[in-house]
Amino acid sequence: MPDWKKIVREKLGPLPLRNGRRDEVIEELAQQLESAYEEALAEGANEQEAVRRSLAQFEDWEKLRSQVFHSVEGTGLPVWEQNGFFAPRRVPVWVALALTLLLLAIPSFRQALGVLPVPGSDPTDWGPRVFPEKKLRDIEQSGDKEKYARALAFVALHSPREDDQRTIHAAEKAIALDPRLTWISAKVSHRTYADPGYDPHPWIERLKAWDPQNGFAYLLEADANVHGWESRRAGYGAANGSVRRELASEGPWRVSMEKAFTAPRMDFYSARQFALDRQVLREQGFDRPDVLLVGMWSQTMPDFAAMNFYVDTLLKDVGEKARESGRTDDALAAYESVARFGERLESASFYNWQLLSAAKCRKGAYQNMIPLLRSQGRTEQAAELESTLAALKETGVKRPSNVVEERSAHIVQLSGLSVYLLLVVTVAWLVALGTLRWTPNSIPGLDRLASILSVAPVLLLLSSLALFLGYYPYARSIAEYVSVEELQEGFGPFFMGVYGFPDLGAFTEVLPRVFWPSIWCALVAVVGACSLWLARRLRPIHPDEA
Amino acid sequence: MPITSDRELKKGNAELLILALLEDQARHGYEIGKLIAERSEGVLRFHVASLYPLLYRLERRGWVKGEWESSGGRRRRYYRLTATGRKILAEQRSRWHAFAGAVNRIVEVRHA
Repeated sequence: MPDWKKIVREKLGPLPLRNGRRDEVIEELAQQLESAYEEALAEGANEQEAVRRSLAQFEDWEKLRSQVFHSVEGTGLPVWEQNGFFAPRRVPVWVALALTLLLLAIPSFRQALGVLPVPGSDPTDWGPRVFPEKKLRDIEQSGDKEKYARALAFVALHSPREDDQRTIHAAEKAIALDPRLTWISAKVSHRTYADPGYDPHPWIERLKAWDPQNGFAYLLEADANVHGWESRRAGYGAANGSVRRELASEGPWRVSMEKAFTAPRMDFYSARQFALDRQVLREQGFDRPDVLLVGMWSQTMPDFAAMNFYVDTLLKDVGEKARESGRTDDALAAYESVARFGERLESASFYNWQLLSAAKCRKGAYQNMIPLLRSQGRTEQAAELESTLAALKETGVKRPSNVVEERSAHIVQLSGLSVYLLLVVTVAWLVALGTLRWTPNSIPGLDRLASILSVAPVLLLLSSLALFLGYYPYARSIAEYVSVEELQEGFGPFFMGVYGFPDLGAFTEVLPRVFWPSIWCALVAVVGACSLWLARRLRPIHPDEA
Repeated sequence: MPITSDRELKKGNAELLILALLEDQARHGYEIGKLIAERSEGVLRFHVASLYPLLYRLERRGWVKGEWESSGGRRRRYYRLTATGRKILAEQRSRWHAFAGAVNRIVEVRHA
């Protein structure tokens, strides 16, 4: 005769019933098996067949275990006693968690997590986002200690304020250690116009002395000479002609602009900053294209609006007046000055808006030059300029199609959002599991909650994989980007897609309108669910719950 | 044709069957399962994997009470109706009669 109690105990597994009920249940089920076994023997079956028939009464022991517990205790089986696919006693959830942690060991996955927008963050607010005050201080201190000029230059370039003492000291020390870094003076000289009280001229003079052929320093000087002009622009009610004449009457501004427009070179030091940022970021462990890209946005640029005013001054005031008074050569010289400046500006630019500004200079100049050249009989030159102008118009503003990059960005953002949410849920699940492990039954409903949340680790793994695969085509070390243009074209559209979706502006417009209706719907749903539950509880005869 | 589907049996109110079998005397689980099959002449068969959870649930509700007793040298858990169980049985039986009567009346008319 088989030991039926032992068989039931083994097949049923752990059954955490109170007050000795477990042993009673085991004994009762064993009696059932034994009776069926004896009946089979009595019917002529051999022992093996009798055992088989007896055990066939209970096909699914796990289901029986769950049903018995539910019937006796009135609640579901504790999460630590469950044997379902997602139960913590089973391997799959822990394998899923381990695989998710393994993903963290892959640099591309870490890079993908870093690219994700942080709620409340602004990608243009790069300094505080990536380099908090403490981090910059650490870089500065280590740069000081090791006499490492490039790290100090990095601090000067990326400190939030140009007139900050740390910025100035870091720039001074960097240039003293390596005079080839004098170009960072452009950053320190760059003042916000509405905040006078700081003299940027010493830095501009230093830059001019170091790179005298470059028109950039003169553009910065022109800006510095009239800082505060934007408030005056507002006062003129945006009448561009008035602003232009007002600026043109500013001698220091006009002189600096003349020098900028006649300087043989134009270099905003984009390539130098790109190389420096890339190197220091890698040294600091920030091997992230998004950080490098956004870091370039903090690059010092002259005021393009003021520059355009000077272009208009040359085209409309100087050129037109000379032409009207019959001084064709003077007019041509003014137009040519603008055209050459446009060409130099184009060579120094890589952002679309910069290239547009450069093209505008050239177009305006060529359009004025062509009739004058014809009037002088220089038809070949006029025809050449006409073809150049036609080519400029054809190229125009071409927005490349970024459908693939935007789609990838949407996948990355949605899966990233899922990763964030599921990470929170998984942590909550782990906390609940820990609580239930050490203090079972301490919180009513916690077992049920933990049971429901058991699916979170697997979903977290799936979301992490989606994030990883969505980002993978863009996962590159910043060392692989050889120029800012390559970074801008290869990574820029994807990055802007990540920050452009969903349109938070539209969301904030819609949210107030759907907020209260949503609350009401949720309230009705909760009241309905409670009513159903109550009605079910109050029914005189309970339906079969099996 | 015998109704072997557990679900169909439950639809036919499994609780009523068990309460009815316990009305006159206390019985153990094995006996209850056998009696359902015998008295229904094989039409109803109770899956024992559902029988015991159902018995435990009725016990938790206070409709039946289980006690260990020795019979023929073997310890068995016998279930008997409680006062609440008897009241519930009367209600369920009344409802069943009303339902079966109504169905019968319709079926008889159709075949008359």
